[in-house]
Amino acid sequence: MPRVTDEAVIIGLGETPVGKLPGLNSVQIQAMAVHDALRSCGLSIRDVDGLINLDPYSFPNSMFATTLAEYLGLKPSFCTTVDVGGTVTGMTMLQQAIWAINSGHCRTAVCVYGENALTGRSPGAHGYMLKNLLGGEEWEEPFGLQGMVSMYALLAQRYFHDYGADESDLGAIAVSTREHALLNPTAMMKKPMTLEDHRRSRIICSPLRLLDCSLVADGGGALVLTGAANARRLGAPMVRMRSFAMRMTHNTVAQMPDIEDLGMRDAGRDAYEAAGIGPEDLDMAQLHDAFTISVLVTIDALGFCEPGGAGDYIRTGATAPGGKCPVNTHGGLLSQAHIGGMLHLVEAVRQLRGEAGRRQVPDARLALVSGNGGIFSLCGVSILERV
Amino acid sequence: MEDILAILPSPTKETAPFWEGCNRSELLLRACEDCAQVFYYPRLYCPKCGSEKLAWRASAGRGTLYSFTHVGVSFYGPTWESQIPYTLVLVDLDDGPRMLSRLVGPDRDKVKIGDRVRVEFVEFETQKLPYFSIVRE
Ligand SMILES: [Zn+2]
Repeated sequence: MPRVTDEAVIIGLGETPVGKLPGLNSVQIQAMAVHDALRSCGLSIRDVDGLINLDPYSFPNSMFATTLAEYLGLKPSFCTTVDVGGTVTGMTMLQQAIWAINSGHCRTAVCVYGENALTGRSPGAHGYMLKNLLGGEEWEEPFGLQGMVSMYALLAQRYFHDYGADESDLGAIAVSTREHALLNPTAMMKKPMTLEDHRRSRIICSPLRLLDCSLVADGGGALVLTGAANARRLGAPMVRMRSFAMRMTHNTVAQMPDIEDLGMRDAGRDAYEAAGIGPEDLDMAQLHDAFTISVLVTIDALGFCEPGGAGDYIRTGATAPGGKCPVNTHGGLLSQAHIGGMLHLVEAVRQLRGEAGRRQVPDARLALVSGNGGIFSLCGVSILERV
Repeated sequence: MEDILAILPSPTKETAPFWEGCNRSELLLRACEDCAQVFYYPRLYCPKCGSEKLAWRASAGRGTLYSFTHVGVSFYGPTWESQIPYTLVLVDLDDGPRMLSRLVGPDRDKVKIGDRVRVEFVEFETQKLPYFSIVRE
């Protein structure tokens, strides 16, 4: 059972501005997010003895947790870097922090991610590139595959074939996500989007268009965790990770299983079972949305509808602001900013604390966060709960 | 045949026979001598049973299209504009494994999932690359 704990809780959240942050490097952006998160719960760096982060994708580094710890002036008793892919990294950071706190390796930990992926990347670069040995260099590049979008395009084309879906289904989630972004003052995208805008945007890799792709951005997000007893003493609002499950099935796109065998379904089932809930109990879902197709596949896999039904489900209004289970209430990677998915977790915590302003989901108690690294290579699902 | 640009692989000792096979117009797969699993890409150990007893087996080079995408932007800067749009494919080989490749030849724009395809070795500089073309029967 992938139950996590009842003890350590999330008590603080931080988020830097997102978009273009020229002149700031990844260490500085992560430091800003850490300080913002500590301010939110009345703590300072003197209270922190655990630090967990991820090094920047746009400029990979070694020992990035120690780099950041020194920069901040920390001397933590628990310090590590986690890299398992989009949003699952953030969830795994939380899991590591919880285990470290529960086992006495530290008392108060900060989980952080941030980078200057937009202003820091090399001139002429497009989209998101991930370098990893085996896959990219030898079995993909000689065939012309580069960047994440082409892999998701292959998935989208197959999804169309398997379920009779089409670009209006992709457009439906792009539009729903934009509606949320318009309620979030920090979102990069400020203008309304129609299905027609989506259909008219240019093809990047068929069938995916520009408005199917997330926003490469600078920015950072952080969460603070401590033991429940300490949290009560501080009087901080508490959010608990009620369950977390992951499933890895492959790395490269050619090894990807058929859509209904992707790891998201198994991770979701395990996370629901461990939390003792089902999709109907959720107040919201923050679903990793590097591309629109990711959300359709995830909605199907997490049991919000029958396989292939995501487009119709979205058209009921369920995912939009005020819907039955709003999806990506911050505007997601598609319309707020792609910060490695860290802001999906920050947003879930903010909503569960009742601090989401105009976009607050009324009386939010339970949030699901999903992630997938690579091309649904490693999937993760967690259930967060207001204590 | 269209003008092809490619980024050539840097084979390891283990994978060099695959790329040398391509230069002889042979598509070589790994076959496990213990469990009979046929797999691609080549690895030192069978991904099904862990065996190191592996042989090279020539593929018939025929398969069915699992998915495709027409790439509409250059991810390699202006020099690749000449390639746009080009077509990436996932091919389910009749021998078992699924393979990522590039589609060449006529009717690329009419390609659909389920089309039969066959390997076409396309030479770029020093290396023949195992691309595919549509089979019209
Ligand atoms: Zn074997």
